[in-house]
Amino acid sequence: MRFILNTGRTIVQGCHVEDKYSETYAGEVSTCRMNLLDMLELGVEEGEYVSVTCGSGSVVLKVVAAGEAIPCGSVFVPYGPYINHIMPEDTHSTGMPDFKSVVVVITPTTEPRKTLQDLIEDLGGRMYEIR
Amino acid sequence: MKFDDVLCPFCGCLCDDITVTAEGGRVTGVDNTCLLGTSKFLGDNRLKNPIMRTDDGWKDVTYDEAIASTLDALLEADRPLLYGWSGTHGEAQCIGVHMAELLGAVIDNTSSVCHGPSILAIQEVGHPGCTLGQVKNRADVIIYWGCNPTEAHPRHMSRYTTYADGYFLDNAFRDRTVIVVDVRRTETAELADVFVEIKPGGDYAVLSALRAMVRGRDEMIPDSIAGVSKEQLRHIVEICKNAKFCAVFFGVGLTMTRGKYKNVRNAIELVDELSRHTKATITPMRGHFNVYGSNEVNTWMSGYPYAIDFCRGIAFYNPGETTAVDILARKECDAALIVASDPAAHLPSKCIRHLANIPVVQIDPYPNMTTAFCNLQIPVAVSGIDAEGTAYRMDGVPIRLRKVLETEYPTDTMLLGRIYEAMMEVRGR
Ligand code: SF4
Repeated sequence: MRFILNTGRTIVQGCHVEDKYSETYAGEVSTCRMNLLDMLELGVEEGEYVSVTCGSGSVVLKVVAAGEAIPCGSVFVPYGPYINHIMPEDTHSTGMPDFKSVVVVITPTTEPRKTLQDLIEDLGGRMYEIR
Repeated sequence: MKFDDVLCPFCGCLCDDITVTAEGGRVTGVDNTCLLGTSKFLGDNRLKNPIMRTDDGWKDVTYDEAIASTLDALLEADRPLLYGWSGTHGEAQCIGVHMAELLGAVIDNTSSVCHGPSILAIQEVGHPGCTLGQVKNRADVIIYWGCNPTEAHPRHMSRYTTYADGYFLDNAFRDRTVIVVDVRRTETAELADVFVEIKPGGDYAVLSALRAMVRGRDEMIPDSIAGVSKEQLRHIVEICKNAKFCAVFFGVGLTMTRGKYKNVRNAIELVDELSRHTKATITPMRGHFNVYGSNEVNTWMSGYPYAIDFCRGIAFYNPGETTAVDILARKECDAALIVASDPAAHLPSKCIRHLANIPVVQIDPYPNMTTAFCNLQIPVAVSGIDAEGTAYRMDGVPIRLRKVLETEYPTDTMLLGRIYEAMMEVRGR
């Protein structure tokens, strides 16, 4: 199904910006908040996984029911390395890519959500083990 | 030891009423902060010393070694990018601009993926702004458009708007009307007197409709615009025109959607229209505590607020070309210095893939996503906790950050100063 994706800040994401290797940060920024009716139509329940695809790739995120806060047809994902994995880099000559109102395709999936380490290694980075 | 009236170095509210207790080289308690500020002050996972990437892991290096290898990386590059700068103080940002000029580098700050488009709009039509003190004491109508202060600037409403009693408003909560415009019903929306839910991407159209209605051209407006009824638009126009002082705050909801700076331009022009009827102002909700400062420092030093390219020997500015996302996506830079920000957590993957392929030096107190993509990270003191300096609040008011801890870490100013001096020596300046 096609949805409009918005990304943005959340308080949990904000509280962990200086603690990005924590479980809480990775958990928060890999959630996809949806309207209950859309969840019904997609056939997914809270805690299940969806694959979110747009121009530059796909990423697996965990579904969080957002009640009425998110209108039907839209989803919200907190800013961070998960969703930016698929954000298009085109800035339309403004310097700013589209981080909001982006059209994405969402399908239920049984694939596992990537760990932060997998995401980092996919992009050519190397995880630093905190001592 | 207890420190009063400390600044919180997290968001653009730059709250200056924080009480901090510090003992044994650590912050042990804070009062008056929101959750974001508390986690920043109490955060305890700093990098202990500089680290350098090796073939099979990481090794610890000394500051002298780290400085030498930073010089190698930056002096050997043809087109270095110096990016970040929002989470440090003005004095360090100043050295950054000097360094960019010496290297013929591009210097950009995080505003290019935040309120950069707002600055482009301001360059087109000006900025009818005011200080937050004016808003607190005078504004009886507040509009939050495309922003969610409850989660991003948690004390904004209690210090300056909804819950802040002012000189001309004895009972702020009763006397102020708060309008929230957004594409979803956020927690901020729950606290509003009027919530306007717009369809995603509909901001420009709704702003245009409001402008027309303020001009008295109601008849041109269809029954519904981007999901908002004409009746509700009329209601908002009435509230705004009858206000004594209407303060608009807007967030990246306007700058990150299609239309970008044109959305912001339209919002500024709405404020302009409203100012023919009453007093109206507009302020961007700046994110990092000193991102505004970075724009100020860049502007008074080079003439431009961000995305400044010194490769011609003079400052050149062309957002869309000289902005970090575009330079990285085009794989144009061949080395990068990242200061006080975390591009690997916030830029599109194509940009991060390029970072993984070039020499990257990061100056930051904490391990973050960019750590995984840099060759060298040098930890420094945290501005506002163990380093002092100047920061600019979201309304452009410069305030002095205080220092509450003694530290062995160098400050950004000390470290960048040493690197810059060594660069000048090599370049024979
Ligand atoms: S609102 Fe911003 S500046 Fe104020 S305490 Fe919270 S994070 Fe710090």
